Formats: sequence, C-alpha cells, structure tokens
Amino acid sequence: MTVDTKLETPVDTQTMEQAVLEPATLRLPAVTPPVPFPIETLVPDTRQQTPAVGQRATRSDGRLHGLGQTKYIDDITLPGMLYARIKRAGVASARIVRVDTSAAEAMPGVMAVLTGREIPVNSFGPSFQDQPVLADERVFHAGDGVAAVAAVTEQIAIDALEKIKVEYEPLPAVFDPVEAMKESAPKVHPPNSNIYATKVIKRGDLDRGFAESAHVFERQFRTQMVEHVPLEPHATLAEWDANGRVTLWTTLGRITLGRTDIARTLKMPVNRIRVVGTIVGGNFGGKNEITQEPVLALLSKKTGRPVKGVFSRREEFISSTTRHPFVMDYKTGVDKEGKIIARKVRLVLDGGAYCSWSETTLGKACILAPGPYNIDNVHVEAFVVYTNKTMTGAMRGFGAPQVCFAYESHMDDIAAALGIDPLEIRLRNVFDEGSISPTGQVLHSVVVRDSLLTAAERFGWREGRP
Amino acid sequence: MSSISMRVNGEMRTATVAPETTLLRFLREQLNLTGAKLGCDVGDCGACTVIVDGMAVNACLMLADQADGRDVLTIEGLATRDQLHPLQQAFEIHAALQCGFCGPGVIMSAKALLDETPDPTVQEINDALAGNLCRCTGYTKMVAAIQDVARSRGAGTVKLPAPGNSGRA
Repeated sequence: MTVDTKLETPVDTQTMEQAVLEPATLRLPAVTPPVPFPIETLVPDTRQQTPAVGQRATRSDGRLHGLGQTKYIDDITLPGMLYARIKRAGVASARIVRVDTSAAEAMPGVMAVLTGREIPVNSFGPSFQDQPVLADERVFHAGDGVAAVAAVTEQIAIDALEKIKVEYEPLPAVFDPVEAMKESAPKVHPPNSNIYATKVIKRGDLDRGFAESAHVFERQFRTQMVEHVPLEPHATLAEWDANGRVTLWTTLGRITLGRTDIARTLKMPVNRIRVVGTIVGGNFGGKNEITQEPVLALLSKKTGRPVKGVFSRREEFISSTTRHPFVMDYKTGVDKEGKIIARKVRLVLDGGAYCSWSETTLGKACILAPGPYNIDNVHVEAFVVYTNKTMTGAMRGFGAPQVCFAYESHMDDIAAALGIDPLEIRLRNVFDEGSISPTGQVLHSVVVRDSLLTAAERFGWREGRP
Repeated sequence: MSSISMRVNGEMRTATVAPETTLLRFLREQLNLTGAKLGCDVGDCGACTVIVDGMAVNACLMLADQADGRDVLTIEGLATRDQLHPLQQAFEIHAALQCGFCGPGVIMSAKALLDETPDPTVQEINDALAGNLCRCTGYTKMVAAIQDVARSRGAGTVKLPAPGNSGRA
C-alpha cells in the first residue's frame, strides 16, 4: 500500500524541493503529525493522598487517557511488523485428521503459517495444563485455534485463514454440565472424568437440622455464561530477536504467571522471555492468563519480524474465558419464625473445555454458598465439570455473584411462603460480630445488619408496607 | 487505490488508500493518530468515535474515501500545547477515565453534543453517549464531567479546579 501524506505547510523544505524535482521517484515520507498536547506531566503525589478515605483522588494516568495519548498494545507499531490471525475450529468436538496450509502459504503477503504440531509444549493453564495453545490432535470447543497466519496486512491474514483446509472427524460432544456428570456422557478430555474438581463443606448435623425444621424449601437456580467484554480486545505484539530472546508486549494482567506459561509452551528458560505489561483497556479477570502469546512468539521466530495479534470481538466471545454458568440446588429448613436451621447446597459449575481458574471459583463459591447467615447445620458440595463449550475462568467475584443470586432469591421465596417481610427474615439470620462462618472463621467488623437497616431506610423500604 | 484529501485536526492531509480502508484504519495506521480505538469494528462500542463535519461518527463504519474533502476532528485535535480542552480537564478532575480505552470516543461524542447543545439535560447527555460503551468507569462521572463543562461555559468562564492532586475536595 503506498502512502502519500503531506502537511499543508511543508516542514522540511529541502525534501519538498526534491519531491518537486522528481515527483515520480521520490515521495514524501508519511510524516507523523506533531500531536499538540501539554508538555507538563503529572507527578502523582501519592504521599499526600494518604490517607485516601474522604479524599478526592485523581488518576495519575487520567490526563494521557483524555488526550488519547495512552499507548495500548494496538497503538504500538514496530518497523516491519506483521499481522497475525488465528483460524478458529468452528466445531465443538472433533479429531483433527489433517491441516493443509499450502494454499495459504502460497498467498502473496503471507509470511508464515503455524499449526499446533509446531508448538514445543502444546499445553498450558493456571492450575491444570489442559489447554492447547493451538489444537493439534483434537478440538475441545468451537473457539479453539487450529492454525495461525502472519501476513503483511491484517486483511491478507484474514483471507489466508480461509485458504487453510482442516479436515475434522466429528466426535460426540456434551454441552450441559449436569449431563456431563453422568458416567455415560462423552468424555471431553478422555480418559479423564468430566468432573475435574470437587469441594465439600460440612458443619453440624444436616439430617437432624431438617428433622427439627418446621418448613423445608427446595429450589434449583441456574445462571448463564457471561463474557467480560473489555473494551480493548486481547492484543499482543511479539518480537523474537536474533539472540533467541523474545519480547512480548501484551494485555496480560498477570505478567509473571503468564511468563512462566509462555516459557513452558516455548520450552525455553524463563529468563529469555521478556513480558511488557502496558496499560490494559479493561481486564475484569479475562486477561489473567495467556492466549495467543506463544503463537505470536513462534510466528515472529519463523518470520524474523515483529508480529502483532489483536482478537476480533467475535474471538473475545468464543475464545477467551467467561464466567462459569452454575446449576444450584438449594434446600433450606427453617423454624416457624423463619430462622434457618439447616441448609444443603449442591453446585454444578460448567467449566467449559478447560480448567483455567475453575478451582479458585469453585472454592470461593462453596465458602459463600450458604450466604451471610448463621446456620448451624450446613452441607455444601460442589463439582466443576468439563463441557465442549468456551472455557470459563476468572471473572470479578470468582463465583460469588452466582451463589448470591441463588441464596438471596431463596430467602425471598421463604419469606413469601411464611408471610415474613424479606428484610425481617434477613435480620433474623444475618451474621453479627463474632459469628462463625461455615468454614469456621470467626468474623470481625461485621456490618451487614447495619448495612441492611441503613439501606432500607435510605431507599424507603418500609414505605407502603403494612 | 484511490487518492483522498481531507482536513484532519485543521491540517490538509492527502493520501492514497486501498478502497476497503476505513476512516479508523486510515487515521490510526497511516496518520498514526491512535487516539480513536478499535473496540468492536462493527459500530457497537463507540471507541472509534471522531467528529466529521461537526457530527460524531463511528470511524470504523466510515470508509476513508467517504471522508474525502471533509473536515475530521480526532481526540488529538482538542488540546493545544498550552492547555487541555475543557472536556479533557473535566474528565481528568472527575476521574471519569479508568482504563481509558473508551475515553477518547466518549469525549468526542460529548464535544459533538456540546457544540450543538451548549446546555444539555442529563437525558440529552445520556442520549449522546448511547453509542459509547464503557466497562470500567461507568457513566455517572462522565455525565457529571460533561455537565461541569456545560455549566462553566454558560457562566462565560471555565471554572474548574486545577488538575492533579490539588483537585481533591
């Protein structure tokens, strides 16, 4: 693509004259216009901002954001840089018979093509290494990458993906987490069971608790998969240098953890990998682990040029982590006044195709599942299972919002059935100073009762109620 | 390839572009004006908002060719070397930009609104920002910042506290 950009007012008169003399052969360079912005920079005065409570703080990077001068990954360009795109499988469960990249490689402008078989150690993950960088033998969900292209323009890279022919042998798939728990269900990662992590929390005597209850309520709650949708898509710029070191500018939130994952997949010492974390345009847990970093590093190694990759919005939805959908079975025994005597909770977490941060989510969901209530007899059991869907991972709250939706909805059901005010039933059960949580933690600085009463007063809860 | 010529931030720019080049890619890749962001590439998120002939547009949905002969203003065209644009100053003071990725687009939408409607209602501000998605900051501080600018302009002077840490209440 030829670029002929010039300023109305010539900056360099000598170049201008040359351009006039030889218009056909000499062109003006694409001059970057001087961006006018105040030279005075902000030095954050952090010590004066402490203590922060009651103080108004200004973000030290706020000015650059407002000027549009913050450099996110996609705003960085290196000389000779190539653009990478990844071909997504589009099938949920299949064996990869063969990948034919010859037509793509023959395209003008395509500098390299990479498949899963070329990745030194094709597995990664924060707790289980169950995720391939690019699927090589088997596709586990439709968003799996199967091949990648580096080309001189993004459009050529996109066109080249269509020239890559992948032959699949379809395999049985499972999409419902409860179905996936059955022995007869197709295994997502054979020969392993689809249930890949469990947790149980017990307190008191559940059977006796239910026997002593005046009423027992049961209900199932389900939540859906949620994508983080950061405004800035996942983006990485990789440069493999002649000394065999690789530098990655990336949107990773956890660069140290990501660096070890990259070292593992590239099978090289961690000290030869440099990860530069820049300002991230929204993370929310979705950028806590590596995605395309090893692919871009290897494409850069193959081509000897820097390679940039930016996820499309579609890839954000199908190929990055999401929030776990939950299936939650609640059973609660209460006395006549609505005091909770026993609660049994069974959680099934849909983990999608890979573990990612599921263990963390499972743990936190279990601890919080009974709710902020004094309950003597508690039993929580939870399972996280593989399905052939987009993987789930870290997202704000780590499982807390799902169980909160369930236990608070359940409380409302109980209050309605017993004819008790929804606020009143909570006040009869909530934690107080020194309450002991289901996991045995003695709680301090407990203000849930105050919070409820203050909130009810502020938004006029009692108004219009008998 | 087609030859285009447009005024960008007050300066005439001439270039040759491939026909499929969007205004956003032209600004970002050829003029190196990276303030407008590519968030969704389908006109949903508004991170690419620039002002063309006084109207806020999604630069990802407009071809560079369509901007031929027109007047384009990007976030880089707001500040001078001496001072920030009042909107930039107000957004900074209100801490209305957290990750900042949506910021340039929001500010350009706000500028297009204030140029047209100097004293907008909250509803009018909400309508003007309807095409700009934000996932971190939330819209409350942005609306407050825009109201501040509108009010101080109505009074004839920009009465905003100095930027930086002295801006605390």
